[in-house]
Amino acid sequence: QGANVAFGALKHDSSLPVEIAADQLQINQETGKAVFSGNVEVGQGEMRLAAARVEVEYEGGESSTGKVQRLHATGGVTLVSGAEAAEAREAVYTIGSSEIVMTGDVLLTQGQNALSGQKLVVDLDKGTGVMEGRVRTIFRSDSGN
Amino acid sequence: MSVYDNSYSRFVSLAKIVLPLAALALLSTLFLVARTVDPSRSIPFADVDVNELAREQRISAPNYSGVTRDGAAISIKASSARPDPANRSRVSATDLRGHLETPDGGTYELSSLSGEIDTKAGLAVLDGGVIITTPTGYQVTSDQITTALEQTDIESPGPVKAVGPAGTLDAGSMKLTPSDDGNYLLVFNNGVKLVYTPPSE
Repeated sequence: QGANVAFGALKHDSSLPVEIAADQLQINQETGKAVFSGNVEVGQGEMRLAAARVEVEYEGGESSTGKVQRLHATGGVTLVSGAEAAEAREAVYTIGSSEIVMTGDVLLTQGQNALSGQKLVVDLDKGTGVMEGRVRTIFRSDSGN
Repeated sequence: MSVYDNSYSRFVSLAKIVLPLAALALLSTLFLVARTVDPSRSIPFADVDVNELAREQRISAPNYSGVTRDGAAISIKASSARPDPANRSRVSATDLRGHLETPDGGTYELSSLSGEIDTKAGLAVLDGGVIITTPTGYQVTSDQITTALEQTDIESPGPVKAVGPAGTLDAGSMKLTPSDDGNYLLVFNNGVKLVYTPPSE
């Protein structure tokens, strides 16, 4: 069972350039794998993703000159897009399908209410998110104070 | 001059007068019209300071090559090199091109305008705009690079700019060192900013 949630109301364009800033970048000269570490911030259009460590994975496995297929962020990830923010232990952002899968006690806050679960799949293009696994939600009903 | 009845004889007699005159005129151009040779003007020669050349030894197209401890073949070529008078094992060279081939087959090309190679210290400092191309297709430009000669260790203390498959990036400093499991790690430090534009398919 999963809770559908609107995520980042505005239309996200996955062909925008991806900017990554970090303290350190290691590129393995044999496999071509690039690993950013040290408060990494990934930005694309409206979406901002902060993590301790981000690995860049290429299409076609180890080929280093292929397109970048996925960013694999680990070590505590915070994703902000529009008014929503989501936190989790790990996140995988597939650039081609502009889909972010966050796993590991995910907490999603939208304005007043919060939603927590084990896995959140965000589709940036359609601006929707599906939260799965022991979803708990807290609605603050402002009781007219 | 006798008179002949046919034109051919007349032509021949006329030729007997005209041709010698033409020959005489031709001969005179050899002496009268020729440029005067001025013995006092010396032969033109390059005005390089000859004794400077003699005092300072200079190697042209030097080539340093060796194998580093971890088995990478390194060779540095330059257009000209001058030994440092103070320190015998230091050589300052211009227009260097370095070539590093690691055991796993990756080749690194370095090129720079000027540089110093110190074989005793086992270090080559390349400056004046250095360009490095790595086997994974990254082209790194920096203004100063130090390359160790004994082991594979290319380092740029200053800021670098790199263009490669993961996008264009600039970083505070860069270091290429062999990692423990045998292959080589290109590490960019203190502040990395990368921009990757996904190719629109």
